[in-house]
Amino acid sequence: METRSRELQAAEYLEKHRIKELVSYLTSALLFFRPEKPREYLISLLERLTIAKATGVAFPFFMDNSNVVSMFEMMDSSNRGTISFVQYKEALKTLGLCTEDEDLEDDGHRITLDQFKDEVNKRIKDICEKTKGKDYESYQTATGLLLLH
Amino acid sequence: MDATTAPHRIPPEMPQYGEANHIFELMQNMLEQLLIHQPEDPIPFMIQHLHRDNDNVPRIVILGPPASGKTTIAMWLCKHLNSNLLSLESLVLNEFSCTATEARRLYLQRKVVPSALLIQLVQERLAKEDCVKWGWILDGIPETREQALRIQTLGIAPRHVIMLSAPDIVLIERNLGKRIDPQTGEIYHTTFDWPPESEIQNRLMVPEGISELETARKLLEYHRNIVRIIPSYPKILKVISADQPCVDVFYQALTYVQSNHRTNAPFTPRVLLLGPVGSGKSLQAALLAQKYGLVNVCCGQLLKEAVADKTTFGEHIRPCFEKGMAVPDGLLMKVLSQRLDQQDCLQRGWVLHGFPRDLDQAHLLNSLGYNPNRVFFLNVPFDSIMERLTLRRIDPVTGERYHLMYKPPPTMEIQARLLQNPKDSEEQVQLKMDLFYRNSADLEQLYESAITLNGDQDPYTVFEYIESGIINPLPKKIP
Repeated sequence: METRSRELQAAEYLEKHRIKELVSYLTSALLFFRPEKPREYLISLLERLTIAKATGVAFPFFMDNSNVVSMFEMMDSSNRGTISFVQYKEALKTLGLCTEDEDLEDDGHRITLDQFKDEVNKRIKDICEKTKGKDYESYQTATGLLLLH
Repeated sequence: MDATTAPHRIPPEMPQYGEANHIFELMQNMLEQLLIHQPEDPIPFMIQHLHRDNDNVPRIVILGPPASGKTTIAMWLCKHLNSNLLSLESLVLNEFSCTATEARRLYLQRKVVPSALLIQLVQERLAKEDCVKWGWILDGIPETREQALRIQTLGIAPRHVIMLSAPDIVLIERNLGKRIDPQTGEIYHTTFDWPPESEIQNRLMVPEGISELETARKLLEYHRNIVRIIPSYPKILKVISADQPCVDVFYQALTYVQSNHRTNAPFTPRVLLLGPVGSGKSLQAALLAQKYGLVNVCCGQLLKEAVADKTTFGEHIRPCFEKGMAVPDGLLMKVLSQRLDQQDCLQRGWVLHGFPRDLDQAHLLNSLGYNPNRVFFLNVPFDSIMERLTLRRIDPVTGERYHLMYKPPPTMEIQARLLQNPKDSEEQVQLKMDLFYRNSADLEQLYESAITLNGDQDPYTVFEYIESGIINPLPKKIP
């Protein structure tokens, strides 16, 4: 019993502080930029994150506006202007905005670029709101970059 | 050793960088610390952890029955690894903590310190700067399962646990000869470890509680407790027999402590097999390819395939074959890179043999970015190679290959018509071996982390050695 609740506690901790996404982001950055001194690079990334949280300066995000548009275009290989529901769900999962078990409604129509952008924005806002507290404001401004117009 | 199931077409620089800098282990350690301490503010905690950079300091626990030589081994390891030693006596004698004074009082009264107090002392000591920076070695703690569990709940986890073991009779007898130097605290023995200087000899004291009865009693208690401590450290425990000379025990302990455990890091093996002709490289490569799904890249084979397929490269290679000359390096590298760049090689990893033959070829290989991450040298003595190669025969009628010693032909009729390949004649074999040994010294220098194996055994034994070399992390060099 004791170990089971500790395990749950650990899982909750990971969820609450979004550790998995953070570690994933750090590892991707390391492998993409391949710095000479990995530890120093990680320290600098983490310090930038703390500054971003504290002052609301731009977040060193991996994905930005143009990335989401290009992602859509990659999925829409025949240039129809829409993507299928399955593609849409997979894209949200890749961006880390949707979990495996979540049930998205499939209204039978395909998803357009605008619908996709709106959904991504909405989910990012939700995430910011979940981490309310004194960080709320800074997260909002930080994701201003990501919010698509 | 399985290919990543996520994005295909990862540029090969990424996994190479990840392996070289141990990124996976770095992240894993950081995550472990996060989950153990669960700080309110993870990012400053992570920054602190990265600054500390103490993933590889020694964190060792030495367990064993009385008179097994725990303290001696612990002290030697401490000196060698430049780390801190923690034992019951040293913790209790600490003058700077009130918990220690309390513990000392109880120790002097009843000869035993309550577990909660002891573990609190351990925790205090481990939080100090020097333990964080240089690591620690626990001598004889935990003594009971309760202590082991308390240590675990505090998040203190050793990386290596050494358990010394010896038959009881040996221990009882050994304990009778124990002597302590009161000034330095070192332990000597009347038979096995007698100090050379006479002044030390004169001041040696007989410690309390070494009579046979006492030792037997302590042994009983030890056996009762140790059985329940062992399951706490399943993968990091190593049992070393204490019934051998001290130096041997020490060297075994030292090698174990300096080796890393197998990790879950993603790893595509890029294996290089080097050795003289007839050392079994092709056989081992075939076994590896079969078991682990690696791509078997035999240089000679590649060239022959190129010629047979009449590709553009093949047209250039054919005249070299016809004249009996070696193929020029540039052409060779082109054919090889074409093969190694293919998707199946990148994803599943490869086993290369028959190349490089000398230092220049090795440098070419590295410059094109195909650094092998495991290199094996197969050593076989000259006589064995002669035996293996010169007795090879082929039956011209059926095409079946025989060996006069290892796989003789079934009937006299077949034996009468067997032919030998002219490349297997003594002089040819001698020539090729000399060629190899001339260049092997340079290659050994270049590939410093190569593993040398005795190739003069049966193929499956050699295969097991190669397997363990691939699966276990490379041994760390002593700085």
